[in-house]
Amino acid sequence: MSASVETRLDAPAAPGSRRLARMRHFDLVGLCVTLATLALAILWAFPLYWGVVTTFKPEDEVVQPGVQLWPKDFTFENYGHVLLQTKIGIWYLNSLITSVAVTIIVLIMAAGAGYAISQLEFPGRRFFWWMILASFMVPIPALIVTHFLVLNQLNLINTLAGVVGPQLIAPVTVIIYKQFFDSVPKDFREAAVIDGATDFQLLFRIYLPMNWGITTALAIITFIGAWNLFLWPFIAVSSEDKMNITVGITQVHDAFGVQYARDLAVAMLAALPVAVVYLIFQRRVTQAIMLSAGIKG
Amino acid sequence: MSESTKNGNGAPHVELRRVTKRYGTVTAISDLSLTVEKGSFTALLGPSGCGKSTLLRMIAGLEEITAGQCFIDSVDVTDVPPAQRRIAMVFQSYALYPHMTVRQNIAFSLSVAGAPRKVQDERALEVARILQLEAYLDRRPAELSGGQRQRVAIGRALVRKPEVFLFDEPLSNLDAKLRVQMRLELAKLHADLRTTMIYVTHDQTEAMTLADRIVVLDKGTISQVGSPLELYNHPANKFVAAFIGSPSMNFLAADLAAAIDGVASVALQGGRTARARVRTGAKADGPVELGVRPEHLALVSPSDATAAFTGAVVIVERLGSATILYIDTPAGQLIVQGEGNLSAKPGETVGLALNETNVHLFGPSGAAL
Repeated sequence: MSASVETRLDAPAAPGSRRLARMRHFDLVGLCVTLATLALAILWAFPLYWGVVTTFKPEDEVVQPGVQLWPKDFTFENYGHVLLQTKIGIWYLNSLITSVAVTIIVLIMAAGAGYAISQLEFPGRRFFWWMILASFMVPIPALIVTHFLVLNQLNLINTLAGVVGPQLIAPVTVIIYKQFFDSVPKDFREAAVIDGATDFQLLFRIYLPMNWGITTALAIITFIGAWNLFLWPFIAVSSEDKMNITVGITQVHDAFGVQYARDLAVAMLAALPVAVVYLIFQRRVTQAIMLSAGIKG
Repeated sequence: MSESTKNGNGAPHVELRRVTKRYGTVTAISDLSLTVEKGSFTALLGPSGCGKSTLLRMIAGLEEITAGQCFIDSVDVTDVPPAQRRIAMVFQSYALYPHMTVRQNIAFSLSVAGAPRKVQDERALEVARILQLEAYLDRRPAELSGGQRQRVAIGRALVRKPEVFLFDEPLSNLDAKLRVQMRLELAKLHADLRTTMIYVTHDQTEAMTLADRIVVLDKGTISQVGSPLELYNHPANKFVAAFIGSPSMNFLAADLAAAIDGVASVALQGGRTARARVRTGAKADGPVELGVRPEHLALVSPSDATAAFTGAVVIVERLGSATILYIDTPAGQLIVQGEGNLSAKPGETVGLALNETNVHLFGPSGAAL
């Protein structure tokens, strides 16, 4: 008996020293992982740094062989050219109009559809739900030719409405809203129904405000997606006055062909609003990405 | 099956006529009729799954009635939407909107009806005064205690000035002390408003203390309707007898030997006999069950002539005002409730005397004889 007690008393010493050894081992592993992460971060950030630095170099320095980590002749000429000699203001405005329009319309439509499928009983509800799930499986670029033909028949090619139209297909947003509306306890709905609330009032005064975080996250990610979209606006618009900033970049050239520093300068300016939005709403964007991946945040 | 609940006013207010509720092949409520009279406080009482909440939701219009009709104030509301039934409901979860303040929660029904902001604020303040919530009007539900949330939920119902209040187990989320306090407040509210209240609970103490009429439900049908004391003293069947009263009634197998002029003589296990009052017309036709409440069994000496049973004390529960004894007898385990200072110890052999004026007899079907 006493022996077993002794064993128990001795026991903590051995795991203690083992733990210390394990901690030392972990520290080494941790250090290696940190260094590897740092190396990867540098590898990832270098092109970004290279791009930013290049925008401050004169074009002849850009095309010189070798690696110049800092401009010899620091210049704002590239930004000056982009801001003063191109239609970047109009491209920004077009991007803003189309991205805001896509964000607002997608959220309203998706919230409405998600609410209807989640909360209302109507014929074909299950069918619509399966259709939305099925549409989620179809990659949007596969529909580009169809979209072009339809919008051409509607005379919407080369218009901002034409840029917005196909972007309104957002099944993931509907699915996310439906999931969240499903999780709202039914007592809230029933209490509001007894109080005389209509379905519109239920959606806009109860369900959406109760899921405000989700709406914000979805709004940010939809806006960023619409702002960054290139392929469809590139196909749908040929007039420079109707171009988005992403397509406008392709127009920054002169008689001598592509000017890398100018191209990178306009690319930096195009990415700036998204970077600002991301920095401000970092947590929400992460949440939205997790939601889109099907992980409830 | 038709039952009614009465009150001082005597006018029928809520009436269910032969209502049935089916979910697919499952029948939750079966051909049930019930009348609740104006101004009464009626409790729907029963164990989980007996259909009491379903019945309340049918009155509220939240559940479609499969068959039958529902009337409020003599108007057939079977197909009328909940908002137009002039009812208000307090949910078990309170269902307070977390993004709204207390003021907004209370005034929500007025707001959706498009009432001017001034009217909303005035009514919210008026209700808040009644419920002593003035200091919390600008807080959100998350910043309130359980009792305060409960009061806001009642306030949200009160602001609509409904004809009928429906409560779906509103106190079950509160701790025991707060539950007693809120019970008192609800009783005061009913006394002040004299509005018809229908209250669902599985807690017989809540039903007994609050309601002037109790509807006991079992498997989707009404077992008995009556005042709390009627149910306690004259249970219509074994289910009601067992459900009402805490600790629960003791049941003993017995043989009905004779029934003359409303007094039956029953033979108990062990050869003793007991007498019980029965309805005239009850026939001596063999096995019955004798029901006796724990407080109607008295401890006597095992050798006492009045001892119907002898047994050994197994557990002694001291509640202060009362003592509960669990006694193993040849007839099975019996529960006895005595005074707080009752002297009994586990292992002690005691005799049990029946208070024959308070025993009940139940036939093989469970119905009271």
